[in-house]
Amino acid sequence: MTAAVLEVENLRMEFRAPRNAGGRRVQAVRDVSLEVQEGEILGLVGETGSGKTTVGKCVVRLLRPTAGSIRFMGEDITAMPSSQLRPLRSRIQMVFQDPYSSLDPRMTVSQIVAEPLRAHGTHSRREAAGLVRRTVERVGLSQQVLDRYPNELSGGQRQRVGLARALVLEPRLLIADEPVSALDVSVRAGILNLLVDLQRTMGFSCLFITHDLSVAEFLCDRVAVMYLGEIVEVGTRDEVFGAARHPYTRSLLGAAPLADPVEQRSRQRAILPGEPPSAIDPPPGCSLNPRCPLADRRCTEEAPGPTQVSEGGHVVRCHRVQEQLDLEVARS
Amino acid sequence: MAELLSVQDLQVRLFDRLGVVVAVRDVSLSVEEGEVVALVGESGCGKSVTALALLRLLPPDAQISGRVTFQGRDLLQLPLKELRAIRGRDIAMVFQEPMTSLNPSFTIGNQIGEVLRLHKGLRGQQARERASELLSLVRIGSPEQRLRAYPHQLSGGMRQRAMIAMALACDPKLLILDEPTTALDVTTQAQILDIVRDLRQRLGMSILLITHDLGVVADLADRVAVMYAGSKVEDAEVHRLFAAPRHPYTAGLLRALPRRGRRAGDAQERLLEIPGLVPVLRDLPDACAFAPRCPRSQDDCSNQHPGLAPCEADHRVACLHPEPIVAGAHP
Amino acid sequence: MTIATLPGAEPTIALTQPSRQGWWRRFRRRPPAVIGLAGVVIVVLVALLAPLLAHYSPTVSQFGQVLRAPLSPGHILGTDELGRDELSRLIYGSQSTLEVGVLATLLAMVVAIPIGIASGYYRGPIDMVAMRITDVVLAFPFLLIAVGLAAIFGPSLQNIIVALGVAQLPGSIRIARAEAMALREQDFVQAAIVTGVRDRVILFRHLFPNMLSPLLVQASVSIPAAILGSALLSYLGLGVQPPTPSWGNMLASAQTYLYNDPWIAIFPGIAIFLTTLSFNLLGDGLRDLFDPSMR
Ligand SMILES: Nc1ncnc2c1ncn2[C@@H]1O[C@H](COP(=O)(O)OP(=O)(O)OP(=O)(O)O)[C@@H](O)[C@H]1O
Ligand SMILES: Nc1ncnc2c1ncn2[C@@H]1O[C@H](COP(=O)(O)OP(=O)(O)OP(=O)(O)O)[C@@H](O)[C@H]1O
Ligand SMILES: [Mg+2]
Ligand SMILES: [Mg+2]
Repeated sequence: MTAAVLEVENLRMEFRAPRNAGGRRVQAVRDVSLEVQEGEILGLVGETGSGKTTVGKCVVRLLRPTAGSIRFMGEDITAMPSSQLRPLRSRIQMVFQDPYSSLDPRMTVSQIVAEPLRAHGTHSRREAAGLVRRTVERVGLSQQVLDRYPNELSGGQRQRVGLARALVLEPRLLIADEPVSALDVSVRAGILNLLVDLQRTMGFSCLFITHDLSVAEFLCDRVAVMYLGEIVEVGTRDEVFGAARHPYTRSLLGAAPLADPVEQRSRQRAILPGEPPSAIDPPPGCSLNPRCPLADRRCTEEAPGPTQVSEGGHVVRCHRVQEQLDLEVARS
Repeated sequence: MAELLSVQDLQVRLFDRLGVVVAVRDVSLSVEEGEVVALVGESGCGKSVTALALLRLLPPDAQISGRVTFQGRDLLQLPLKELRAIRGRDIAMVFQEPMTSLNPSFTIGNQIGEVLRLHKGLRGQQARERASELLSLVRIGSPEQRLRAYPHQLSGGMRQRAMIAMALACDPKLLILDEPTTALDVTTQAQILDIVRDLRQRLGMSILLITHDLGVVADLADRVAVMYAGSKVEDAEVHRLFAAPRHPYTAGLLRALPRRGRRAGDAQERLLEIPGLVPVLRDLPDACAFAPRCPRSQDDCSNQHPGLAPCEADHRVACLHPEPIVAGAHP
Repeated sequence: MTIATLPGAEPTIALTQPSRQGWWRRFRRRPPAVIGLAGVVIVVLVALLAPLLAHYSPTVSQFGQVLRAPLSPGHILGTDELGRDELSRLIYGSQSTLEVGVLATLLAMVVAIPIGIASGYYRGPIDMVAMRITDVVLAFPFLLIAVGLAAIFGPSLQNIIVALGVAQLPGSIRIARAEAMALREQDFVQAAIVTGVRDRVILFRHLFPNMLSPLLVQASVSIPAAILGSALLSYLGLGVQPPTPSWGNMLASAQTYLYNDPWIAIFPGIAIFLTTLSFNLLGDGLRDLFDPSMR
């Protein structure tokens, strides 16, 4: 049994809604519990507005959660004051989606990568310079970029710099928020390979946020699927991509087009109708019920609890799946 | 099948702050009646400019040369007045930015009505009925109500549907879709792709589909043209292109793609990386633009610009040293 | 499935990006901005080189030469009611005029930037207090502040500068605050927070340098405003005190002679007009230059 690096329990995050919504609140994250084990990559997938980034920002404490708890290496950081949090910050790092806004345009690459080292004052100037150089090399950049400014680099190169900044302190946990979404296919491949290599050699754990299922399948050991601020299904890669149970997960898997005309044209697709409701007033009961082909009365009234599908931790929140499972158990 | 649109040696030079941009270099294309042709390539390779050039929608200082024949007439030579009659009626386009191509201060109904009035002379009740018919065509529920909505009251997916509905207003023969699903979620994307597939079957129009998403291409296209740095590098029937790409760039793209079933944990699976950067589209030398990044490049690649040449039936490639033919890969 | 990996670290081809000289090229392409810059440079040079440029002392009267018309021998722009050379007074007047404009703006910036950054970055109570203060300042017309200060401390140059500086505060605080708020949401600042960089360092290293451009634009608007303000104060007798010439007090003392000898009002009027215009043109040019959407 490996230890959990990150444990999130019943996380809830509300924002004040925009003016015209009548003082109600945006329920960006409603009830999220997840664990990231030592050395694992957990994928957090879901569509726009499902609350993935908000979960990530709560974990790195850029946001203070409305409710719930976040534990990092056993320590509760949910409401930790920033002075106490500071030393821990060297162990949790984040990579951002936008390669353009995530680097200070007025700093050189070496200053950017050195910043975490300076912030924690753990290294002498000379050590720091050496470490910066090694880290930049490690992310596949040549030494020549050290004195460049971000606007002299391509999107892929910038994302590597962002990765170097996040990894220079050798964190235990990396939150990667859509780090390849803004990149072209040919550049994306390089970053994904790099992430795999670095994770293997450095052994950090990773919460990898993405809306791209094939990226999640390529990279992640386990995958959690989010819909409207909740995790509706979580399981190992094989369970989620090979034996998904939740209607939403199944629809997502069917909706993502395969880059192969033969397969793509021959497969059965059952795509959910409609669009996700607003996070300001989510529907009562199961959040998927207005769009779900399986929904019955219970689904509109009562929110489903977690149902264990397998011993290994394949969990689904769906009344209908639960009923099916109960039936199967009864039969055997 | 008859050829509906034929583009020959299209060349587009644009001017920006730093000088000339050769955004499109000698691109030839052909779209037959009822055919879906996909134009794919990475960001900045000239896909949108190509489409805009067909309809002469580029800034006035753009230099366009070549021939664009649509139903026997050269669109590049046509007087502007006649071209205007073709735009929107025979050839409709859905632009890349759904947000900026709808006017925020008019309702959807007003905007569709305007097109109907302009090209079909429909007004009042007639126009309203046709407009709501169009919205149902793109599966927008309670269309009468939606006609009264302003663009900002609709979600991204709804706006994209409204755009498509507007493009369909005059039963165009050719529909140009520029990245119709790029800004959308997969579920919404699948819904839109479904609509387009269905429309095409029902209305039999030709579609020029611009996208960078190979999944979308695999889903919809009959034929695929791959662009790189302003040039068309490969052109083939869709199954053929995916099964047996001949240009190293196309092959590289396909292998760089994380796909379902590919897993980093399995047998040291890695994605193929295409090293280097997309070249800047200024003073490109007379050489293969992909050569500096190409694993198959040889000396001669850097001293001549390979033209597009047939390599097999219905398959053309612009490469001096194309990928070997994959045995048994024929669909 | 095994797949070959092409060897290849990321290359280091620099993208063609606007460099520092590109800046100048872009700036040069805006004639109004270039004219503005030229005007500002000329005024500054005149102020610095006043002793070399002026043939007469600005304060010494030549009796018998009172109110000479322009183009009279020895006095190209004529003389004023006390027989002082108008051109020389204009030249020296640029000194105190610019001094007031620049120092008042500088003062406003020095006070406003820390307040604005802190309230934009921390929001919350600090922001509330800062916003209330600017509201209060805005509620008092700056003339009232200036009159008050002058009444209490006497109309010295420092007090004029302080009064005009205080008048500029709300605008500058708001700009600094808006910039800080926008920058705080930028990923690079969020990244610094996540990394554990201290707030102090974030404010100095990330926020401040990145808001210099808009602040420079603000300064180029604020200097001419202060110049106009000081001219206004001169009318009330609270501006730069005679005999030290300033364009404002030249204009003010010309009032009485406006009917018969209008030139002694026209010349300082033109000087003020052209100087403020130059600063404003320069400001617009800078704003365009820094605006990313104009690139
Ligand atoms: N600061 C904020 N104030 C108000 N609402 C917010 C704020 N941040 C996020 N939200 C809302 O919370 C919800 C979840 O947002 P979040 O950014 O976490 O989604 P996401 O899953 O990351 O989506 P995407 O794929 O678009 O990045 C959305 O409805 C969003 O509008
Ligand atoms: N109006 C313009 N003036 C100058 N250059 C332009 C203009 N429009 C586009 N370009 C340049 O022409 C090239 C091709 O642009 P285009 O928009 O066709 O790319 P694209 O393939 O559609 O990319 P994307 O996938 O990002 O939409 C780019 O290098 C772009 O910078
Ligand atoms: Mg997000
Ligand atoms: Mg485009």
